[in-house]
Amino acid sequence: MNQYLNQVRAIIWKDFVTELKTRELFSSMFIFALLVIVIFIFSINLSIVKASEVGPGVLWVAFLFAGTIGLNRSFMLEKENGCLEGLLLAPVDRTALYFGKLISNFVFLLIMEAFILPIFMIFFNVDLLPHLLPLIYVIFLGTLGFCAIGTLLSSLSANLKTRDIMLPILLYPLIIPIIIGSVRMTGQILAGEPLSNMTNWISLILCFDVIYIAVSIMMIDFILEE
Amino acid sequence: MSDETKESGPLLIWFTAVAFLIGMAAIFIYAPTEQMEGAVQRIMYFHIPAAWLAFFSFFIVFISSILFLWKKEREWDIYALASAEIGVIFCSLVLITGPLWARPIWGAWWVWDARLTSTLILWLIYVSYLMLRYQTDVGSMRARFAAVLGIVGFLDIPFIHFSVLWWRTFHPPPKMISPEGLGAGMDPSMVTTLMLSLGAFTLLYFVLMGQRIKVEKMRDEVERLKKDYLYTN
Repeated sequence: MNQYLNQVRAIIWKDFVTELKTRELFSSMFIFALLVIVIFIFSINLSIVKASEVGPGVLWVAFLFAGTIGLNRSFMLEKENGCLEGLLLAPVDRTALYFGKLISNFVFLLIMEAFILPIFMIFFNVDLLPHLLPLIYVIFLGTLGFCAIGTLLSSLSANLKTRDIMLPILLYPLIIPIIIGSVRMTGQILAGEPLSNMTNWISLILCFDVIYIAVSIMMIDFILEE
Repeated sequence: MSDETKESGPLLIWFTAVAFLIGMAAIFIYAPTEQMEGAVQRIMYFHIPAAWLAFFSFFIVFISSILFLWKKEREWDIYALASAEIGVIFCSLVLITGPLWARPIWGAWWVWDARLTSTLILWLIYVSYLMLRYQTDVGSMRARFAAVLGIVGFLDIPFIHFSVLWWRTFHPPPKMISPEGLGAGMDPSMVTTLMLSLGAFTLLYFVLMGQRIKVEKMRDEVERLKKDYLYTN
C-alpha cells in the first residue's frame, strides 16, 4: 500500500515539476477560462438578465472548457515524447497511473478555479464571500466528477489521430449530469439557500464521482494496454 | 457462415414483413382515433417501439462491450458495433417522430422536457461512440476503446435520467406502465396495436442485426483475403 502511494505520488510530482518548469498548462487554462467569461459577458445582455441567474452557467462553462484543455494536455504531453511508453514500462500498476493523473488534473483545475472565482465575482458583480464554503464544496464535487471521467477519456483519446477534437465530443455528453447539477447548485447557493436544500443533487454528483472513479479503475487496464 | 443463418435469414425477413403489415393495418384501421389528440396520436405506435428499440440496442451494446473486454473475441465487438448503429438510427427516429407529434399537441416542435432531453443526450453519447469507432484504425485498440465507451456511456443513463428529471418535465406520463396497472390509461385495442407494433419493431431489430453482422464479417473476410493476396504474390 505504501509503495502504491509512493508510485502515485511520483506521478503527481512529475506532473507538477513539468508544470512548474513550463507554466504552459496553467497559463493557457486560466487565460482560456477568462476569455470564456469575457465572451459570455458580450453575448448576454446583463442589463436584462440578472447576473446571479446566468452567472453559475457561465462560471461552469468556463471551468469545463478550460478543464478540457488541461485534460487534453495531460496524456498528449506523455504521448508526444514517447513518455507514455516509459510510464507503461515502469513497474507501476496502471491504476496508480490513473490516480496520479486524476489527482494532478484535479489539483490543476482547482488552482485555476481559485483564480477564476475572484474575477467572476468582479465581472458579474456577485458577492460570493458569504456563500464561499458551500460553493467550494460544490465546485470540489463537480470538478472531481469531471476529472474522474475526463482522465479516463483523455487516456483513450490521446491514442487517436483527432485527439483534440475527440476528447470534448466524447466527454461532454457524458458529463451533462454534472453540468446540470453543478449549475443548479451554484445558482441555489448564490440565491442564499443552504446545502441541506439540495441533498438530491449532492448525492447524485457524489454517486457519479464514486461510480466513475471505480469504473475507470476497472477500465484503465484495457485502455493502456500496448 | 453456418447454414443455419443462411436459411433462417430470409425466413425472419418474411416474418418481419408480415408482422409489419399486420401492425400497419392495426395502426391505421383497427386502432380507434384518440378523442383529444386526433389522428396525430397514431404516431405513438411508431414512437414508443422506436424508443424501446433504441434502449434495447444500447443495452446490447453494453452487454457486448463487457463480454468483449472479458473474452476478447471479435464476435462481441461486431455485435456492439451493429447494435450501436441500429440504436442510433432508432434513437434518431424517436427524435424525429417526437417533434412531429409535439407540434400540434404542445404547439412547439421542441420542448426541453425531461424525456426529450435525455433521449437527445443518449443520441449524442452513441453518435460519439460511433465517431470514435470510425476515427480509430481497425484493430484491437478500436475494439477496446469502443468497449470502454460502450460501458461508460450506458452507466451514465441513470445519472442523465435523474439529473434531467429534476431539471424539468412535461412529457405525458407513461401510459403503458402506470401505477394503475399495465395499459390502464388506454383503450384495449390501442394496447393491442401498440403490442403488435412493438413486436414488429423487435423482429426488425433482429433482421437488421443479422444483416449488419453479416456485412461486417464479410468485410473482415475481404481484409483477410487482401492480406493473403499481398503476402502470397
